[in-house]
Amino acid sequence: MTKNKVFITSTSSICCAGENNTELFNNIINSKSGISRETDFFYNSKPAIGKIKSDKTFYENLNIQCQNILNDSELENFHDTLLIVGSSVGGMKYTEDSFFKTSNYKEIDSTQHGIDTTKNILNKNFNFYDDISFSTACTSSANAIGYAYEVLQKGIYKNALVVGIDSLCQTTVGGFLSLGVLSSNPCKPFDVNRDGMNVSEAIACLLLETTQKENSTEVCGVGYSSDAFHMTQPHPDGSQTCMQNALNCANIKYEQIDYINAHGTGTIANDTSEAQSIAKVFKNKPKVSSTKSITGHTLGAAGAIEAIIADMVIQNQTIPTNTFLDDAQNKDINFSNETQNSKVNYILSNSFAFGGNNCSLIFGKVEQNNNEY
Amino acid sequence: MNINLEILKCAYIYAPTQIEELNTKELVPKMVTRRRLTRASKIAIYLNSLCEFEDGRIIFGSAYGELDATSSILNSINSKEQISPTSFQNSVYNTAVSYLSMINKNKNEIMTISNGDNTSLNVLKSGAIKAIDGDTILLMGIETLNIPNIEQINRCINFLECGVALKVRVTNEKATMNIDNTNKNHFPKSIVSMMNIAKNIDTNKKNIIEINI
Repeated sequence: MTKNKVFITSTSSICCAGENNTELFNNIINSKSGISRETDFFYNSKPAIGKIKSDKTFYENLNIQCQNILNDSELENFHDTLLIVGSSVGGMKYTEDSFFKTSNYKEIDSTQHGIDTTKNILNKNFNFYDDISFSTACTSSANAIGYAYEVLQKGIYKNALVVGIDSLCQTTVGGFLSLGVLSSNPCKPFDVNRDGMNVSEAIACLLLETTQKENSTEVCGVGYSSDAFHMTQPHPDGSQTCMQNALNCANIKYEQIDYINAHGTGTIANDTSEAQSIAKVFKNKPKVSSTKSITGHTLGAAGAIEAIIADMVIQNQTIPTNTFLDDAQNKDINFSNETQNSKVNYILSNSFAFGGNNCSLIFGKVEQNNNEY
Repeated sequence: MNINLEILKCAYIYAPTQIEELNTKELVPKMVTRRRLTRASKIAIYLNSLCEFEDGRIIFGSAYGELDATSSILNSINSKEQISPTSFQNSVYNTAVSYLSMINKNKNEIMTISNGDNTSLNVLKSGAIKAIDGDTILLMGIETLNIPNIEQINRCINFLECGVALKVRVTNEKATMNIDNTNKNHFPKSIVSMMNIAKNIDTNKKNIIEINI
């Protein structure tokens, strides 16, 4: 079977750290966090979370991101496009608002509750060839990109629009509070004094095609694995296998990875496990940073927003710093301690989730126009 | 594009409210683990055992996910009570197959799809696309809707707990059965395509379905 190359040809995003990609990347390289402490979001608590700052509604912003992709691409419409959604909570915010009004399920519209809410919203304005929605908690949109890579590489579909999306809701903020892993300040991934994560919201869209365009970034491979260990406690063997699977899929050696965009949530458990696994796989010690101190943890959207960040790191040949990292817990890791211009050919981006669901993606700088191998 | 899948094993189970016997004590001997399992997890472990699926990739589908945990969280917030950490960790859509992976020490790719009424059709499509790689894959669909006050919103589903599993691999042989989306028994629509396949299996011959992508 012919294996197509797969390229990211257009991206659009909105999150607490920027209303568009450029603003997001500028804030990342300037260490300007979008996280703020909220006193009225969840009763009896003041968590630091990442709210989108916009005068539009969340779903108006969703339609805008997809229209941006259409305007930026060579596509006239999405009639040949597979829509692939990755979301952890779907329409949970709507469900909360409906239920809290009456304490009754009667008024809840199931088409606005589930993970398929995003495709239901988008289908009002765009026509897609087909659609599929993944929900694997915080790996949802990383898995969506992995699936897009697989189906395009195999020549099953012509192109794919990946939408990573999650909005803030009381269920996730209160849920992570109940687990005791929310920080009251912008998070400090990998720091000895880190005290938790920041729940955040985002919409991140990527068009993937098999034809290289100007300023494309290649999706080189995907690795999946399951920890088979615990619902919320990660195990380093699982993430180690996942990263190795991604390298094998991309057919590159670990020495070729120049930068790792870590999952790096700022929790004790994740960062300890992830740092251990990175140290085991990458003897060459590539630069490592987490951008969640700027964007927060956008849950199901994290894989997609960090894929856009990886795309911009490659296009700008600039590796971002670990904002707020003062004293790294794991000294075996080559943490990026300042934003710097650097040659970046390959990036590995990690996403890990509840249930021990792991996904690592590898992105590469495009050197020449060659669509098959 | 069409991809044909041979059904190597299948299992299904359903009940109007709660499925009584899932053999959980035998399948999950450790009580500390068993106590944490959601209803969907118990069904997943049961169906997996009937399909004798030891190790490999799993594609799981559920339109409504862990409704019991979700409703518990909603009611806690509404009552200004502390959210149960167990409810929260069990509320993600991939909970059932995550517990299954822990019980069976299955460290492979395990994917969860949730796409409303099209969920089981999407599980079949994505399963077929992944099975091109040549391995045997377990496809699974489960809905667990048996929660307090479900009658406030349920108007058409007769079976509040139901699950189906198909162990499949790609074949070049011709299809012997069609995908039937009729829903005479009023299962959750999200599960109908796979449930009809499982119920129409003829154990005396090869069972092959054609998946139209």
